[in-house]
Amino acid sequence: MLLSAHNISKAFGSFLAVRDADLTVAEGEIIGLIGPNGAGKSTFFNCLAGDTAPTTGRVLFDGIDVTRSSAEAHARAGIGRTFQVPATFEDMTVLENVMVGAFLRHHHRGAARETALRIIEMTGLARQTAQRARSLGTPGRKRLEIARVLATEPRLMLLDEALAGLTPTELQQAIALVRRIHELGVTLVIVEHIMEVIMTLAQRVLVFNQGHVHGKPHEIVANEMVIEAYLGRGHRRRGETP
Amino acid sequence: MKWGLPALAALLLFYPFIFTGPFYWDIGVAFLLAAISASAWNIVGGYAGQVSVGHSMFFGVGAYTPLLFYQLWGLPPVAGVPAGMLVSLCLALAIGMPTFRLRGHYFSMATIAVAELIRIFVGTWELVGAAIGLQGPAVGRAWWDLMFRSELPYYYIFLAVLAVVLYTTFEVERSRFGYYLRAIKAGERAARSLGVPVRATKLKALMLSALFTSVAGSLYSIKTGFVDPESGFGILVSVQMVIVAALGGAGTLFGPLIGALILVPLQTATNTWFGGGGSGLTYILYGGIIVLLARFEPGGMHEWWQRVAPRLMRRWHAA
Repeated sequence: MLLSAHNISKAFGSFLAVRDADLTVAEGEIIGLIGPNGAGKSTFFNCLAGDTAPTTGRVLFDGIDVTRSSAEAHARAGIGRTFQVPATFEDMTVLENVMVGAFLRHHHRGAARETALRIIEMTGLARQTAQRARSLGTPGRKRLEIARVLATEPRLMLLDEALAGLTPTELQQAIALVRRIHELGVTLVIVEHIMEVIMTLAQRVLVFNQGHVHGKPHEIVANEMVIEAYLGRGHRRRGETP
Repeated sequence: MKWGLPALAALLLFYPFIFTGPFYWDIGVAFLLAAISASAWNIVGGYAGQVSVGHSMFFGVGAYTPLLFYQLWGLPPVAGVPAGMLVSLCLALAIGMPTFRLRGHYFSMATIAVAELIRIFVGTWELVGAAIGLQGPAVGRAWWDLMFRSELPYYYIFLAVLAVVLYTTFEVERSRFGYYLRAIKAGERAARSLGVPVRATKLKALMLSALFTSVAGSLYSIKTGFVDPESGFGILVSVQMVIVAALGGAGTLFGPLIGALILVPLQTATNTWFGGGGSGLTYILYGGIIVLLARFEPGGMHEWWQRVAPRLMRRWHAA
């Protein structure tokens, strides 16, 4: 397994944000993570990315215990993540933003620049290369975040609602981009509210809600608990009685 | 603008021949000292966004050490400069390790507290002259005492140091280290997620900044031949660095130069107009600049110029 998280719990004082969550991800998989707001998806994500240490449980990446490692160490190990609210470096240009990521593996400016330009081209940001991040709209910023993480040459990418807030056309482009990233050999864990994304991309789904449900996407959308708690009755197949 | 840099270099190089006489040379030296100090502060405060308001601790160490070398062992003050740099480096390491756990205003407040503690301590420490301070040689024994009658040699020594500081900053700006500093300023959490070693990078920036600030302090005390707790470690020393850099444009290569170019003549003018009776005016001036910057131009004059210059050029070409 590339990533194994066992019995992950995270408490903030007396509030338990994540309770005994488990996740195993094989190399080359795309895993979807869904659940209602406040279910603890982002906190779980933060535990996987080294942003915060879990209160209990263990995270193994490629067999190495990274439970208490820093976010920097996670990035060095090959775990990259995006943020729910894009955290681009606003006063830096698109190229400079991506170069910060590229510097992780390429210490010389020329090599980092070359890598960054290649990734900018791949992520469809070539026309905005010299623009400051602050001048980009939401789709641009989300792409930039993905590009920046991609520049760190990760083995595992954690995408936290990286496709939310896009128009249908932008969404299709973003799905195509995620597919291209996957084709490069990057394993993906995606937190997403848009079921279209999950159904299209994910090979397995983990549902966060008062406990956890694992399964294939088609099993998940048929699961009673998931329908009640998250998808709503509109997701029942036509003609099916409640 | 391609001609901007050579024009600036030529202006600084030939300034003493354009504006002749001790009065203008004195202003030139004060400008260079302010520019060196603010450029040094700019590395950690401007590029990394770690607003230290306690940089006087490094300036003071740099200012005291040369004169202490003279007082204790009769050595030329310049011999104490490397020692001052070394002490400042150690101080930066000792201060940075715990304070870089703090963020934003808490970091700024911690630096003020440490600098004030050092000022009070130095003011009671007999070895370094307590409240009276230290003096250098009254008359130069040889050229290496760097005691010149004219301001002109000081001007060119200070200019050479400024060139070194600016060149180093330029190299930092283009390097991985410089990109990391700007990323940290923009968002520590995001920087960390990209593998930026945040604390180590901030610490390196503080050490480099402390090194140059110490040199600025040494230049000050060697030139004036005197330092006391207020002129070395006083809070106004730190505040001036922050204001000069912020006024010109913190986090830009030439911002501190622009800031010094505005502030130093302004200070000289207020001192000339109001004399000793207007000593409190410096505080009012600094306070006023902070308010104006925060309200109208937080990015400083450099950013303002970058916004205005293209419009002016378009109008000029249209005309």
